[in-house]
Amino acid sequence: MATITNKLIRLTAADPLGRQPDPWASFREIEIIELQWAQTYRHSLGKYSRFFVELENKRFLATRCPICSQVWAPPRPVCPDHLAITEWVELSGRGRVESFSILHHPSAMVPYIQPPYVLAYVRLEGADTLFAHLLRCSPAEVHIGLPVQVVYYEGPVAHPIHLMAFEPDNG
Amino acid sequence: MSERDVVVVGGGLTKFAAERADASVRDLVVEAVMSAVEDAGVDLHNVEHGLTSYESDHFNRQMTLGAILHDHIGMVPKPNVRVEGGGATGALALRTAFAYIKSGLCDSIIVYGGETNGKSVTSATAQQFFALSSDADWEMMVGGTYTAYYAAMMRAHMSRYGTTERQFARVAVKNRRNAQYNAHAQKPMNLTVDEVLASPPVADPYKLLDCSLLSDGAAAMILATVEWAAAHSTRWGRQPNVYFTATGCGTDTMRLGDRPHPYPGLTHFRGKREAARQAYATANITDPLHQIDVAELYDSYSGVELQAYEDLGFCEYGHGGPAAESGVFDLGGELPVNTSGGLLGRGAPVGATGIAQAIEIMLQLRGAADPRRQVPNARRGLTDTHAGTGTHCVVNIFERRD
Ligand SMILES: [Zn+2]
Repeated sequence: MATITNKLIRLTAADPLGRQPDPWASFREIEIIELQWAQTYRHSLGKYSRFFVELENKRFLATRCPICSQVWAPPRPVCPDHLAITEWVELSGRGRVESFSILHHPSAMVPYIQPPYVLAYVRLEGADTLFAHLLRCSPAEVHIGLPVQVVYYEGPVAHPIHLMAFEPDNG
Repeated sequence: MSERDVVVVGGGLTKFAAERADASVRDLVVEAVMSAVEDAGVDLHNVEHGLTSYESDHFNRQMTLGAILHDHIGMVPKPNVRVEGGGATGALALRTAFAYIKSGLCDSIIVYGGETNGKSVTSATAQQFFALSSDADWEMMVGGTYTAYYAAMMRAHMSRYGTTERQFARVAVKNRRNAQYNAHAQKPMNLTVDEVLASPPVADPYKLLDCSLLSDGAAAMILATVEWAAAHSTRWGRQPNVYFTATGCGTDTMRLGDRPHPYPGLTHFRGKREAARQAYATANITDPLHQIDVAELYDSYSGVELQAYEDLGFCEYGHGGPAAESGVFDLGGELPVNTSGGLLGRGAPVGATGIAQAIEIMLQLRGAADPRRQVPNARRGLTDTHAGTGTHCVVNIFERRD
């Protein structure tokens, strides 16, 4: 007898539209197999790298357009409104919650945090955009307008964006 | 615009399901194409151009799927092009086909697409694949999912306008109710608002029954000039003729947080408003609630339909919740929305979704929908389809002309 290591199931399918006669009657024996596909990427953080490098120094950087003075956080190397190369500026890391969601399922991207967890959109002091990140607090505590601050971690982390998160600003 | 009017010769779709174990993606698309060819009353050998509509290489574990599909429906060596625009893929594919015919590049084209989003990977992996279509470094890596992004938008809408969970739960009830009258729908359900509210939380304020479906399925549509249809379709003129009269497209920043305040802020779909503005100008629509008879909106989440009412001009800003409660968008209301069941009830195999929306409008304008969901005397219909959180928005308009 032949052996197929990744065969999951063999079945006889019904016509999902219930037609009589079934136009596909001689194509209803179905076999399903399992395939695996894993890969590792070499991923440059490119012109955004300084943002991530400075998180190791517990500094939160954004970029400012030299023409319109808009401050972009997350940073953009080029202001899309002017196609101008921006300059780095440091922000305090304080801000307020503009909106949020409480997620009830684990995420493969943040395996170190147990659901329910909070994803918050934060209006940072000195920025013209909103910055999305984990807000590490009890879900019962979060509301629109909540003052928050950037907190820094030492790691180890799998992506330098996890060297930071938000926490409620109690001071 | 030139006088080369674009007509819908025919369309067809498969049964949408959480798992079509009986079919691979190529099987599904072939089924949809055979159905479209029969509906159109044409010989596919006479159709001049192909257009492949699919979003993801990941779910199918196959790149350049267009080459396989075009081959398997016997279209080689005729020209083919693949169109991708995230969730808006199917509608963008039809818009592209519209331009190909308008330009004179061809007189006839078949748009076909499908996806196996249902069970080809686990639902957790599916969430990760979709999250890859947000900003992978800045949104996905911090634990973001599409449900969470949309949830934050709805939370902001609730805060700004007083919209309630009951109001958007009502959309989930309506669309799954409509799906009961559609044999191709994945999830027909007879629900109450309280049952939606009691379903398990996914990303607050969205519960399981507020979320659209992961689906396997395919759809196809044949578009042509009037002259081509008259010459090559045995059914043209023997049933109400459906014209594809207008298309609009708008976009927005990838990240929600980068959008200007107060409009669109976190609460609105700027790209949708722009797409509608263009399409309405072409179709001479100034009062969409009264000048459109039936609409298929992109209800990826129940609350998104409320937000779409506002940006499409069906009601004033902030009034989406009360408008839903008024019944104006129910079957029998002023402007029935998602008579097919929408993404919540019919299902959403991404590359097929926008085409399936257009097929529902085609059936409605012909008067050929199931009588339980047929809108009486529907003359003009709209589809609204978007990618991301509104990064790429397409509005297409179809009209019956006797
Ligand atoms: Zn600028």
